[in-house]
Amino acid sequence: MSTSADMRTKAVLPNEAARPASRKRRMAPGELGRHLSTTTLLWVFAIGFAFPLLWFILSSFKPAGDLFSYPLTLLPKQWTLTGYATAWQSFNFAQYFGNTIVVACVTTVLTVAASCATGYALAKYSNRWLKVFFVCILATTMLPTEVMLAPSFLVVRDLGLYNSLAGIIVPSILTATGVLMFRAFFLTVPDDLVEAARIDGARELSIFFRIMVPLSRPIMVTLAIFSFQWRWNDYIWPLLVLNDPNKFTLQIGIESIVGAQNINWSVLLGASVISMIPLVLIYLVFQKYVMNANINAGLKD
Amino acid sequence: MTLTGNATAVSASEREGTPAPKLRRMRPNRYTAAPLILISANVVLFALFFVWPAVIGFGYSFTDYTGVGDPQFVGAKNYLDLVGDPSFYSALLRTLEFTLMVVPLSYVVSLLIANFMVSKYAKGKPVARIIFFLPWLVSPIITGVVWRWLFGENFGLVNFVIESLGGKPVPWQSNANLSLLVVVFAATWAGMAFSMLLFIAAIKNVPTSYYEAAALDGAGPARLFFSITLPNIAPTSFIVILLTTIGTMKEYALFVSLNNGGPGTDNNLLVQYIYQTGFQRGQIGYASAASFVLMIILMAVALIQLAVNRKAASR
Amino acid sequence: MTLTKSQTGTSRLRRVLAMAATVSAAALVLAGCSSSGNSSASETKKLTLWLSSSAAQQAGYDQLATQYKKKTGVSIKIVNIPYSGYTTKLRDAAQANALPDIASVPSLDPIWTNKLIDLSSIVKTTSNHINENFIAKTSDGRVLAIPSDVTASGLFINKSLFDQAGVSYPTSPSKTWTWSDFIKAADKVRQATGAKYDLTYDASPSRLRAMVYEMGGKYVHADSSGKFSTDAKTQKAVQYFVSLNNDTIMPKSVWTSGADPSALFQSGQVVAYWSGVWQVASFADTITKFDWASVPTPADPVQASDVNSGGLVVGFKNNSSEATAAKKFLSWMYEPAQYKKLTEVNGYLPVESGLNPEYPFKSAAAQDAFKLYNEELPLYAPISGYFNQAQTKWVLGGKSLTTDPSVTELGKAINGQETVTAALKNIVDGYNQQVGK
Repeated sequence: MSTSADMRTKAVLPNEAARPASRKRRMAPGELGRHLSTTTLLWVFAIGFAFPLLWFILSSFKPAGDLFSYPLTLLPKQWTLTGYATAWQSFNFAQYFGNTIVVACVTTVLTVAASCATGYALAKYSNRWLKVFFVCILATTMLPTEVMLAPSFLVVRDLGLYNSLAGIIVPSILTATGVLMFRAFFLTVPDDLVEAARIDGARELSIFFRIMVPLSRPIMVTLAIFSFQWRWNDYIWPLLVLNDPNKFTLQIGIESIVGAQNINWSVLLGASVISMIPLVLIYLVFQKYVMNANINAGLKD
Repeated sequence: MTLTGNATAVSASEREGTPAPKLRRMRPNRYTAAPLILISANVVLFALFFVWPAVIGFGYSFTDYTGVGDPQFVGAKNYLDLVGDPSFYSALLRTLEFTLMVVPLSYVVSLLIANFMVSKYAKGKPVARIIFFLPWLVSPIITGVVWRWLFGENFGLVNFVIESLGGKPVPWQSNANLSLLVVVFAATWAGMAFSMLLFIAAIKNVPTSYYEAAALDGAGPARLFFSITLPNIAPTSFIVILLTTIGTMKEYALFVSLNNGGPGTDNNLLVQYIYQTGFQRGQIGYASAASFVLMIILMAVALIQLAVNRKAASR
Repeated sequence: MTLTKSQTGTSRLRRVLAMAATVSAAALVLAGCSSSGNSSASETKKLTLWLSSSAAQQAGYDQLATQYKKKTGVSIKIVNIPYSGYTTKLRDAAQANALPDIASVPSLDPIWTNKLIDLSSIVKTTSNHINENFIAKTSDGRVLAIPSDVTASGLFINKSLFDQAGVSYPTSPSKTWTWSDFIKAADKVRQATGAKYDLTYDASPSRLRAMVYEMGGKYVHADSSGKFSTDAKTQKAVQYFVSLNNDTIMPKSVWTSGADPSALFQSGQVVAYWSGVWQVASFADTITKFDWASVPTPADPVQASDVNSGGLVVGFKNNSSEATAAKKFLSWMYEPAQYKKLTEVNGYLPVESGLNPEYPFKSAAAQDAFKLYNEELPLYAPISGYFNQAQTKWVLGGKSLTTDPSVTELGKAINGQETVTAALKNIVDGYNQQVGK
């Protein structure tokens, strides 16, 4: 370990300048083999993962009678959009989309902010009551939702948040996953960075806002992806909290396709595919950010 | 200096309480206002939306509340009934078996795929990125129908292929262990993207200079992974394992849609047990008691993992 | 580098914080806006109606609402709630004092029965011809719910397979078959055509009750003191049922691990399917690869089925003017002219007799099926409606059968985890625990 540290101080400057240029032009011998093996292995997994997905997506284009016919087919014999058309008309898709977007965006922003602050505090400060709070946050993942449903409803009702989008937003801001993510990240940020800033005379909170927050952007983006999906797929809680159908969210509409006695699969599949599209778009945009980020948390200069 | 700064950051904050490190503790404990402000929002939310409902639920666990009318205090009866119920223990055992299968599989697969997604040697990453992400977006009910289509005992694709190759159809749903195996695959398939994204962010966080230095030393890809990547993403590994464990032990919806806890009740996990004996029979008090016992079990698991992590970090 | 990073970080952060602040302010405003719900006016012009149904079955109510608006100017807002959360939602709405004015509910809940309007005047109106066998009355003669429609369990067959095997089947309920005759015929068809199973059976206690009633049993029945038990004929019938689940006649996976019996039947590989009248409308659309038909239910020797209400229509007393308006609407809805239209559009079996609805189905099989059900209903023994009445009585007594343990216990029996006797005992215990005295 120490050898590489020495080598690093020596090796970084000359080679780093030279590398970027040469990396693209010359492929070292053996690199082609690495390309092949890595790509092959990756695609073995990708095909394994894609196969069930493929059936799901292709089935959404099958007419209802073909979905469970025997022998089973992967490709539709007739391609049809009736599932999608019926799904779109089953409920007020556009309005529910709008409500869900509002809820998801607001919650995500607030969640990321709260989790970032809490994660930093847990990682960089060593008060005893912080450790207690950390265990408390972990505890929030340990009660199954059904148990919490009825009492949480009473709380929301008593706080006056019934039948409002805030009733979905506010209880969802606290997330142990988000706090853990930021805590794990800030643990990898060297304490010396904080110390240096303190020596410079910066106050604690401005260290947080000016230095730590910008560093944690990839984590913020990753948590944003998660938070969006969680709020997007929330079903039972919005159903219980909202009374006015104009405020309903997407999953309530989709779940209404699942009937008491039988499920209209082609409509359900169509509706599910439609509801997944915005999530995929958000993911693509945000992931580009994470993949292109050259973070190196605060190590240089 | 910055290299070692990594290790001490972890150990200093985690190694509290043992006599020797106290002398070596780097910061005096004088910051209270700043951390307090930082966590204030979550403290309020925690109190309102976790403690308050949990206290209500805890109160129910000492009553025979059925959701209607006034709860009657019954003392520890619910807890005693729970401890004496053999189906609680079989649900607990099944849950542990399931978790012990899913967590390692999920960890290895998601770490492996995260490595591919970050590697410059893999081609076709944009499409692969979507493929790996989509299963996580799909709701449990759809995951259920998709995997039933694949592994359905009567008309599933896998049995169809086996039969056309001349074999006998495998009882994917009538055999409890095979049925559990199907859920293990489905759970790994559905949950992989979450861990993968966490790992990608963590791996991207490891300075490329580390790799370059080690590569100059002559380290091959495996050595680079085990000596550089793995130690540096340790905090993320920890939370992936912790969250996957807790989430897997609470698994319910996937089982309902794949085999409804079956065959029979062979694959009832703890949360399904709580539903069946508690909520579905209107025994809210009993369900609350069982839920708090589940929480104690999960807390024990989490504390064990925290302790192991502390030991590993201090090494 | 760190400096420039922090500078852009700050401005970006400021933007994020500003956005968060405005957005949280907006959220709180939304919270404030919520409480102005549907409070009463001196004359109610707006009512809310909750139901849980497919989009197709909502159409009948939508039509009625439009018609009613034209007639009286009162608009009815129809809200379709997903089935899986409906009961919980009603409960929570009751706790938040936000119940709708009218609702079609799957069953009554003791938590809000005290908020229901008395609908006995609608039942007493003789011109409506409401079949009182399906109406449960409180001890003081009030009627708290009227079924929106009647549902009956029934048998479907894969007509193409029967024709291919050359096996005949009864077409009239007066000449129906016994269970052993039916299984024999299905066996013949299966062996002749290479189908996979004789029969798939919905995993629901209501369907099982039908078979038990047809074999002369009473399933889990309460005696005069309110204690539940089973009789010998029930035990024989349930034993027979469990023995049929042997992966040759019936697949075990339906009752043990939740496999979808309807999907299995629609694949064309199963000779028959025991479900009920609600499948007719969906089969009319989704079964395109083979011919299907509804056949008379077996009588062994009792001619019976499990007849239930498809939904119970209730009115809630939110305040006096809304309650009056709700009752007015319901009285209008149950007048034969309107109710007939409702049953036709939604594909309902009517709770009013003498209507002769003409269903809009294009499929001949669907039309024949409905004709058959309408023929069979009057022939069924009174035990067929026992559970429907009992359920309402339990609720009025403050209890409810939150979940029937039948499927779980019999699933265990089929899986070999316990004997049928033990399963029945557990089921009876479950009943006694929840709704026994």
